Amino acid sequence: MASALEMRGTQKYFRSTDVQANDNVNLSVEAGEVHALVGENGAGKTTLMNILYGLIKPDAGEVFVNGEKVEINHPDDAIKNGIGMVHQHFKLVPSFTIAENIMLGIEPNSAGFISQVSENKAVKALAEKFNLPVDPKARIRDLPVGMQQRVEILKVLQREAKILILDEPTSVLTPQEVKELETVVRQLSKMGYSIIFITHKLLEVMNVADRVSVMRNGKMVGTVKVKDTNIPELAHMMVGREVLLRVKKKKIKKGKPVFEANNISVADVNGLAAISHVSFKVHEGEILGVAGVSGNGQTELVEAISGMRGIDGGQILHEGQDVTKTTVRERRDAGVAHIPEDRMGVGLNLETTLDENLIISRYNMSEFSKFGFLLGKSIRKFAHDVVDAFSIKAAEPGEGISKLSGGNLQKVVVGRELSGSPSFIIANQPTRGLDVGSIEFVHKTLIEARDSGAGVLLVSVELEEILSLADRIVVLYNGDIQGELNASEAKEDEIGILMAGGSLEPAGKKG
Amino acid sequence: MKNKRFRKIFDAILIPALAIISGLLLMAILIAITGQPILESYKILLQKGFGCEKIGNCAILSTLERATPMILTGLSAVVAFRSGMFSIGQEGQYLMGSVVAAWLGYAIHLPSGVHQSVIIIASMLAGALYGYIPGVLKVRLGVNELLATIVLNTIAMLFTEYMVQFPLRGDKSTTAHSPIIDETAELMTFLPGSKWGVGFIIAIVAVVVIFIYLWKTKSGYEQRMAGQATRFALYGGVPSKKAAIRAMIISGALAGLAGSIEVLGVHRRLMTGFSVGLGFDGLTAAILGQSHPFGVLIVSILFAGVKLGAQLGLQLKLGIPRELGGTIIGFIILFVAARKFYENNIERIRGWFKSRGHKKAKGEGN
Repeated sequence: MASALEMRGTQKYFRSTDVQANDNVNLSVEAGEVHALVGENGAGKTTLMNILYGLIKPDAGEVFVNGEKVEINHPDDAIKNGIGMVHQHFKLVPSFTIAENIMLGIEPNSAGFISQVSENKAVKALAEKFNLPVDPKARIRDLPVGMQQRVEILKVLQREAKILILDEPTSVLTPQEVKELETVVRQLSKMGYSIIFITHKLLEVMNVADRVSVMRNGKMVGTVKVKDTNIPELAHMMVGREVLLRVKKKKIKKGKPVFEANNISVADVNGLAAISHVSFKVHEGEILGVAGVSGNGQTELVEAISGMRGIDGGQILHEGQDVTKTTVRERRDAGVAHIPEDRMGVGLNLETTLDENLIISRYNMSEFSKFGFLLGKSIRKFAHDVVDAFSIKAAEPGEGISKLSGGNLQKVVVGRELSGSPSFIIANQPTRGLDVGSIEFVHKTLIEARDSGAGVLLVSVELEEILSLADRIVVLYNGDIQGELNASEAKEDEIGILMAGGSLEPAGKKG
Repeated sequence: MKNKRFRKIFDAILIPALAIISGLLLMAILIAITGQPILESYKILLQKGFGCEKIGNCAILSTLERATPMILTGLSAVVAFRSGMFSIGQEGQYLMGSVVAAWLGYAIHLPSGVHQSVIIIASMLAGALYGYIPGVLKVRLGVNELLATIVLNTIAMLFTEYMVQFPLRGDKSTTAHSPIIDETAELMTFLPGSKWGVGFIIAIVAVVVIFIYLWKTKSGYEQRMAGQATRFALYGGVPSKKAAIRAMIISGALAGLAGSIEVLGVHRRLMTGFSVGLGFDGLTAAILGQSHPFGVLIVSILFAGVKLGAQLGLQLKLGIPRELGGTIIGFIILFVAARKFYENNIERIRGWFKSRGHKKAKGEGN
């Protein structure tokens, strides 16, 4: 029997960036299969899927649906052939209801008038058919991200897609929502739908997929059955070399406290308490991991510590000095580095050059400016040094950075923040959205900083990351520290209980 | 490296250039409607805008003189825009500078050289102060700078009119104007028969100084970062509030400078109806000049030339209404606003050429 979908000899060359994004790529997906597509950032996954969905015109290649050759020049063609795509960034109208979004453009109407009643009814029936309950009348802007994604999936199903492309569907979800999505995906595959699941989280591949195709540098490296492979092997296929999934680190050489938060409280943008009465210390040569489900005050905590946001109460000490009332500038000058969670919007200015991005935290130092003038030559030299030391690919001092891949952008941030030998490093979700190769690099760099005596505050929603890097772990829940654990003794389920707001006390009493 | 730099400049100029060509082509249709010969009209427009028949009657010099205030108010807008302040207060700041210049021009008496310098500095201070107000309102109270500057423009216009009508009024003639300024306060002109003079040189120096300030100094860097990426600037420790206020002060000073040059170098007094929208011309120059000092310089000269050519050439020689000049400029602005159209098509054409080149290169390799 023919495959539900087959792509043969797909070629795509991007002139503007001189990249062969797809080089003779073949892909075949069976009916009722969950097919994971993995690869590093810039490996060509998204290009391949955009070609399949008619968003990009390939230089060469053929597409077969159920054995028949089809021409796809536009998303309409893709939809006609039963191919639907759920984009990483949702394309929904926030002020519309769920039903209005699902029916957008295909509203049942009589003489040009649309009926909300029949729209809601149709969506209700659709939701029941696929066992994906939604309230047709709810407005998108009131929904959590996971529910919005469900609407996107229903939208694609309403258009009678048999092959669903999910582009990094889990990157925006909470762990619970990821679990729900995995159930939905498996259920759809049982009903005979084919799902192409783009991701770079290998754990998800193992959980949800039947087969997995790996891409690297625009080429298809291979397709394997999930039950015949394992995470290290997939990582090797993706990166083309052995990858350390758990960083080796030396024994901790803990020094005196480099940073202290005493009883601090922080308000969020709406003036509501996001962090209340939190205290902790970070020592020299130590990584303190802050675990927790996203949205429990991490953003506010980090902004307060870095000086970007004022605090409502408490005291912040850096190297014994009270820095509670100091500005970002003063804290940075004193040796605080900060890797922010939002690298595009906060950590970088995509509109300017690499050089100007690299000096933002230290442009006022005598190294980079004198008598009010910027020292172009030493800035350029610094940019070259960072590019070399952190092997930032495709980055050219003096050129823009907007075309760099996510991993390389993060290297620009990390390179800038760590090259001034800071005494205290705040790393907030430092590997979010990165591929395994880049994650390994960031982890290694943070460990090196720790080993050379810096104190590191690592905030992450990835438990795996906290467990492999941190020496000590605090769990943030609802703006408060729910518990503290020693990393070498901490168990994943214990942290899980704390993350959900539970307590370890009874267990403690028994022991 | 050189090649890349050239390419960058080329890219920056390409769209305004295409917009200007499109505007001129559209103008042909309008000229045709008036029934005048098209090619002849173009020739006259160019001659009267950019030509030079003889030293006493040199159109290009008048154009440069007319471009001077536009260059300065354009620079004023560039400094504000680049620093994330959408200020359209150039008109008001320009008027404030003019009032101060007209007043000090006759009210105090100093030797030549000193007199002009004192006046220019005072005018720049007046403009700077008038720019500081919306700046500090924005930073301290969050008042939208666009609205604040609109209101301040109106206040400045009425204030200027009042000053001309009453405190500064020179005589009891039917049209109100201030007394002629002292000879010691006049800015030198270079050639008889034109008012082209020191003012233009000051404007050119300002273009270079602002370019260096924005791209080569710490303060300029702070302003641009705060303007381009607010969160990034906050994160990096840039004192954004100070940078915003500084931007408004510099922006105001430049517009005030334009006012003093217009009074000391051209009119020598202030009269009723002095405000003719020169500040707004600066906005146009800044937007069309890609918010770049050199862009402002080029666009200002071009626009001044087209306006003058339409006025002195088309209207006087051919009887075509001089408003046609304004219409062409309007078209050009419209075409720049529609830049996406050019961008898409440029990419397509460029891509087509490159793909041919690419295939060719590949073919030869095999």
